[in-house]
Amino acid sequence: MATKSIYKLVDNLPTTNITTRVLHALDFVAPGQWENLVGFDATIRAVTGETDPALIQKIGERAVALYNDSKQGYQRAEWLYSTVDDIDTTLAKLALANTIGGQIRWLSFLNRITPKADTLQGLDFSLKLATELAAFCLINGIPGDSIGDFVKALGEYGKESLIRMVALVALDGLIPLGPDFLGKVTSLLSNTTPKDLEGNRLYQGIQTYIPGANSAEKLNLIQKNFQSTSSWMSDLIAKSGLTQEKIVSNLSTIVDLTDRKLDYVAALLDMTTNYYEHTGTQTLARRLIERAVNEI
Amino acid sequence: MTIKQGQLVTVPRADLASGKPARLKARATRQITAWFMLLLFCCALLSAACAPIQKSPYDAAQATTTGQRATAKEALAGGAFNKFFPKSNDAYSVVYTQEKIGFAEAVLKSKTEDVATLSIFDTVSNPDAAAKYKASTQQVSGYPATEIGNNGTSILVANRFQVQVRTKAASFTAKDRETWLAAFDLAGLAKLQ
Repeated sequence: MATKSIYKLVDNLPTTNITTRVLHALDFVAPGQWENLVGFDATIRAVTGETDPALIQKIGERAVALYNDSKQGYQRAEWLYSTVDDIDTTLAKLALANTIGGQIRWLSFLNRITPKADTLQGLDFSLKLATELAAFCLINGIPGDSIGDFVKALGEYGKESLIRMVALVALDGLIPLGPDFLGKVTSLLSNTTPKDLEGNRLYQGIQTYIPGANSAEKLNLIQKNFQSTSSWMSDLIAKSGLTQEKIVSNLSTIVDLTDRKLDYVAALLDMTTNYYEHTGTQTLARRLIERAVNEI
Repeated sequence: MTIKQGQLVTVPRADLASGKPARLKARATRQITAWFMLLLFCCALLSAACAPIQKSPYDAAQATTTGQRATAKEALAGGAFNKFFPKSNDAYSVVYTQEKIGFAEAVLKSKTEDVATLSIFDTVSNPDAAAKYKASTQQVSGYPATEIGNNGTSILVANRFQVQVRTKAASFTAKDRETWLAAFDLAGLAKLQ
């Protein structure tokens, strides 16, 4: 469980790394929604619009106290966001070291990358979506199986929450699984058994926070969550004109995509970015501060 | 080497006598340089070790609140407050966003724009929040009122519940905040104890 202080987590968010560059490259889907807000005081100023240092300190102290109370759910949400990313830091460092003109070159990675099979990719996608549901409920204080509230709230998603969902659809859906990824995941989930779920590494990590008494109930929730959010995702794709080609074209400034199969690109991005953790920390900090300014 | 008669030959001064002084001098220079480098390295180490660890203004709060409860046991559930919030109308919609222990919050939207946030907080979890109203000279709907920064206006209902409206869009004025504070069911909230 995360025990690091919230202000250090927010202060330590990188201003520029592969994750932020990839997220900026996806900005065209939700123009102007996401700015990479880093630093605890800067976040308090941006969220509340206040500038008085004494007031900012007071708000920050209340936010610290709320985060430190494990019963409030914020620490569990942070843990979920960071666990689901499973970043390969060695590879991330290598990727940073192997850039030419800011573009990641493949030379050193080829032997380290194994694209996920479609079945694993599809299941991981639905687990990441279930993680968003669980974290949303923990942060906002809504019962963990409130899929209806989550779906309603998705329509209101903005800023870092929206870019996280855009990245999920683009990097974990469209790039590795293709334009029919929603159909593919639907069919995969209908053929998934509780035993299959138990064998999944990501599920093993986060299952405690997926509502349900056992794997069968948790699988049911994961399936329902995917079905209920599918239309929101297909609307997002349709409205923004999001296609594999557009994503690839925008990412080509970051990753050398010449003659590379997209499942390799997806695997590289999966192993070198932590967009769930990065934007999840930002979402959590925003909500926490919005609460804190009302509790002083 | 054959030296022709009359040819000018340059002989290093140290070689004039056995060559030893020059070699000794070079060795001494090397030693001094080595000692100097070592001294520099030690100074660097020392200054790194003695450099102050970067402190945060929140370190004290972190130390006192780690493992502590942030809400009082008597704090009411956030869900208990929802029915006292203003209702949506033709121009504005009230969208609930947070429902935590002793706290509920909604966003006030005008079409798609977030113009303000509305909240109710049970101050039993932070008595300082209630104490500030003792110095209040303003009233809204008969309740003591205060400003929280430049963007918030709040009132204390029944000496316990802090109701606050905070501006999100510049067009939403302090007067609008008072109007929306009055739109809560304050009498109903006052009975909730």
